[in-house]
Amino acid sequence: MASNQEEQQNQAGRHQEVGHKSLLQSDALYQYILETSVYPREPEAMKELREVTAKHPWNIMTTSADEGQFLNMLLKLINAKNTMEIGVYTGYSLLATALALPRDGKILAMDINRDNYELGLPVIQKAGVAHKIDFREGPALPVLDQMIEEGKYHGSFDFIFVDADKDNYLNYHKRLIELVKVGGVIGYDNTLWNGSVVAPPDAPLRKYVRYYRDFVLELNQALAADPRIEICQLPVGDGITICRRIS
Amino acid sequence: MAAKEEQQNQAGRHQEVGHKSLLQSDALYQYILETSVYPREPEAMKELREVTAKHPWNIMTTSADEGQFLNMLLKLINAKNTMEIGVYTGYSLLATALALPDDGKILAMDINRENYELGLPVIQKAGVAHKIDFKEGPALPVLDKMIEDGKYHGSFDFIFVDADKDNYLNYHKRLIELVKVGGVIGYDNTLWNGSVVAPADAPLRKYVRYYRDFVLELNKALAADPRIEICQLPVGDGITLCRRIN
Repeated sequence: MASNQEEQQNQAGRHQEVGHKSLLQSDALYQYILETSVYPREPEAMKELREVTAKHPWNIMTTSADEGQFLNMLLKLINAKNTMEIGVYTGYSLLATALALPRDGKILAMDINRDNYELGLPVIQKAGVAHKIDFREGPALPVLDQMIEEGKYHGSFDFIFVDADKDNYLNYHKRLIELVKVGGVIGYDNTLWNGSVVAPPDAPLRKYVRYYRDFVLELNQALAADPRIEICQLPVGDGITICRRIS
Repeated sequence: MAAKEEQQNQAGRHQEVGHKSLLQSDALYQYILETSVYPREPEAMKELREVTAKHPWNIMTTSADEGQFLNMLLKLINAKNTMEIGVYTGYSLLATALALPDDGKILAMDINRENYELGLPVIQKAGVAHKIDFKEGPALPVLDKMIEDGKYHGSFDFIFVDADKDNYLNYHKRLIELVKVGGVIGYDNTLWNGSVVAPADAPLRKYVRYYRDFVLELNKALAADPRIEICQLPVGDGITLCRRIN
């Protein structure tokens, strides 16, 4: 199959369908939330990163501003200090996270594409929080497997955010459930998959939306049935499912 | 006008503001409820939801997805001392009581004790009624007394307001002192059934339009308040979380 870069470009092209249409009853309502409660409070650095990202051809992949605000608040509420992020792109949710953590907070951030991360990195550096980030280029599963093998990482993360390849979420979950601390939170992004989770069988969906939808449906059922976590599926962004580890 | 009559009028008027969600389709909302909410809903909360469904003013109740969210939020912030303004039959109160530790405390206020007593048996059966201190009557006098009595300042971990929208800013003026720094105030119905963006000529019932002005004003005021950080979530009818920062 095509080289890694080609594969990514294909994916981003396919991502055009899954835009920042919200899951809400109207664009007007979504705009209202953004203009009333999000943009007036958005830190300068996040605005700047949003603008830098908007110029990028794959900008559809970025975390939306309302989601960034939510993540930032959530992290402060749980006093997170040691976090992980799988799927970085240009780093909007990563910056939202870095701004929320204390000065000695740490984020292990993984993405198969370092170029996109480096697009946003100057903004993160200017914001004075880049020192909290340990970026690793490459697929996440091997890194997770190594951490699982090395006992000391078990239960060491306060918060883990997964915004990556949907066909691997359950594979990630199998490892993350050990790595997040009891009482800690895993957040899975895109769990309402642009609303397509309820599209009728004959709805005209692009092939990849339909393909990944099966994984999203399966993920949602698996999380709801997992006794090791309590869940909450929020219609923020494209749907975030918050999982609190209880055992 | 008698308080009871006023309430019945309000509830009648509340028929419009149902549990239509703020989402793009009922189907999507049902999906969330059936996939992620109902399978996890504690037995007591199901029971309270069913008891409430038989009540003529049941439109006023907290929705199940909102109850689940509140319950999780309270656990995430390790809340122990909370307040609730606006109880009705107690669905969000029960969601709260189930989330707090055994020595957790909730000061719960509502102008109508009867509705609270409709749900109370379920809350008692769930073994968490001992955490609740219910006060019947308007909240403002109670809050004013607490403000005067210095020891309550910064004493609450979480405060949930689901009551008369024309008083939210009056509540806020007091609650911002009573919640601890780092604590959370949650204001319910801040998207007011989506009417916050209804065009000027949209056919809104008089009371929806009337309270809408207060909701719009509240949202602007919260966004501009430097003592809090905010997050306006499209859960239920819109909940705005306010984290006190100074």
